[in-house]
Amino acid sequence: MFRNNYDNDTVTYSPTGRLFQVEYALEAIKQGSAAVGLTSKNHVVLVALKRNAEELGSYQKKIIKIDSHMGVALAGLAPDARVLSNYLKKKAMENKLIFDKQIQTYKAVLSIADKAQENTQGFGSRPYGVGLLIAGYDETGSHLFEFQPSGSVLEYFGAAIGARSQAARTYLERNLEIIQQETEVEKLIVHGLNALRDTLSQDVELTFKNTTVAVVGKDQEFITYDDEDVQQWLDKLDSVSNARNREEETEENTEENTHETNNEDNQDHPTNEDRMETDE
Amino acid sequence: MKSTNIYLTSIGTGYDLSNSVFSPDGRNFQVEYAMKAVENGGTSIGIKCKDGIVLACEKIINSKLLVPGKNKRIQTVDRHLGVVYSGLLPDGRHFVNRCREESQSFKSIFKIPIPVPNLLDRIGLYVQNYTCYNSVRPFGIVGIIGGIDDNGSHLYMVEPSGSFWGYSGAATGKGRQIAKSELEKLKFDDLNIKDAIKQAARIISLAHEDNKDKDYELEISWCSKEFTNGKHEFIPIELLEEAKKFAEEDEGDEDEDEEEGEGEGEGEGEDTEMN
Repeated sequence: MFRNNYDNDTVTYSPTGRLFQVEYALEAIKQGSAAVGLTSKNHVVLVALKRNAEELGSYQKKIIKIDSHMGVALAGLAPDARVLSNYLKKKAMENKLIFDKQIQTYKAVLSIADKAQENTQGFGSRPYGVGLLIAGYDETGSHLFEFQPSGSVLEYFGAAIGARSQAARTYLERNLEIIQQETEVEKLIVHGLNALRDTLSQDVELTFKNTTVAVVGKDQEFITYDDEDVQQWLDKLDSVSNARNREEETEENTEENTHETNNEDNQDHPTNEDRMETDE
Repeated sequence: MKSTNIYLTSIGTGYDLSNSVFSPDGRNFQVEYAMKAVENGGTSIGIKCKDGIVLACEKIINSKLLVPGKNKRIQTVDRHLGVVYSGLLPDGRHFVNRCREESQSFKSIFKIPIPVPNLLDRIGLYVQNYTCYNSVRPFGIVGIIGGIDDNGSHLYMVEPSGSFWGYSGAATGKGRQIAKSELEKLKFDDLNIKDAIKQAARIISLAHEDNKDKDYELEISWCSKEFTNGKHEFIPIELLEEAKKFAEEDEGDEDEDEEEGEGEGEGEGEDTEMN
């Protein structure tokens, strides 16, 4: 049988110049639940779908505050995200100590990009298995970055990572102009939740338990809304479930839907195994 | 290095599975594979003309959600030094960081800005080191370094093997074949820097043929005694627009009279990774 000999470590190129271990790390992001970020001129919004491992368990934290002007949303291996966000917090504090001002978003983000790159060029360490959306508001305005385990960091107007995130990206692309013009933060959040809603699998709905929202912007420190505080935003949506008439279903989507048809009672209880804590 | 029989001779023999291992005929396959990563990336070029240097690159736009004008690929290493690279972009950042460290270390010892050839000496050694051990992999980029020092303008290209050469016109990345053949037509001794900018825009636009299904953003920087006071800077927006217009008009003419040759275009790499 064919075996891929070139995917055992990050220090081996395939004959076509690819690094399979790094590409596999990118796959780990898709195992995590979705996170969406979007920007307008003065605000950045992050929204994310939280999962709970079991019905009585708590929900996985998806948004981490870094500083009063910056925060991240994650998809993938949560422990890796903690390592990276601790590093970001450290960088933010160092910057305050040395320059007496808040760290610029791009500078913070590039610091973890370089950190992640090191893990892809040496033997004995693995690439990080987490994708991050970094939202920040600094003297140069609002910024949203997507971080990948390969060490790539790109600035976006809107971005989505995690399971079925393509649907959210499609929504963002279609509504890009409207979103950019939006001056009210409420409407920006609604767009974010609409995009997030498109990533839901069939019998899951957005609830105040599984949804998390964060905002940062002009005259607005980074603030995260969880649990009861989220309800006010959900009330602004026309529907909390995925629009059934979605045009294209991705392969993984249809696959997972078949899994989930036998789960009828609890919308908050995902049947697709949460692999965020495993080392696969 | 660019032989097409790589696949016949290397796979299955086991000599291509680890860095720092020679095959019986004396090749280091991992370095050659690193070169493959570069060959799938967006095109970068550099031009040395009589009064300065110009760097340019084709930045492939994979999503319309990306912020235009951000995510720069040309970077400044020191005031008088610029770098552009093709291949694995995160490796490029590592490369540039090292270039900066070397320039700073030189300056702290000798109290003068690093001459370009000295930087190349140092960075060449560094890159070469990443071909010597099985605990690391070679850089997946080719870097084009340009700058001005007391001896005039310099343009160099560094490969994953660590070897580097000086150039009058350098090209790497997916469209390098077309870019090279266009660069060869230029008369570098007569070229002034403003014309070089236009030519750079035109060449990148032609080289984009190899990647035609995707949009791209043009980045151009320059380094000139006359216009930038010897500093490496992005060109002003008016010049960029002018260059783009020149490239567009020229492309209109090209289409009528000749078909450009095709590159290799063995593109199956992940587009998120390289451009």
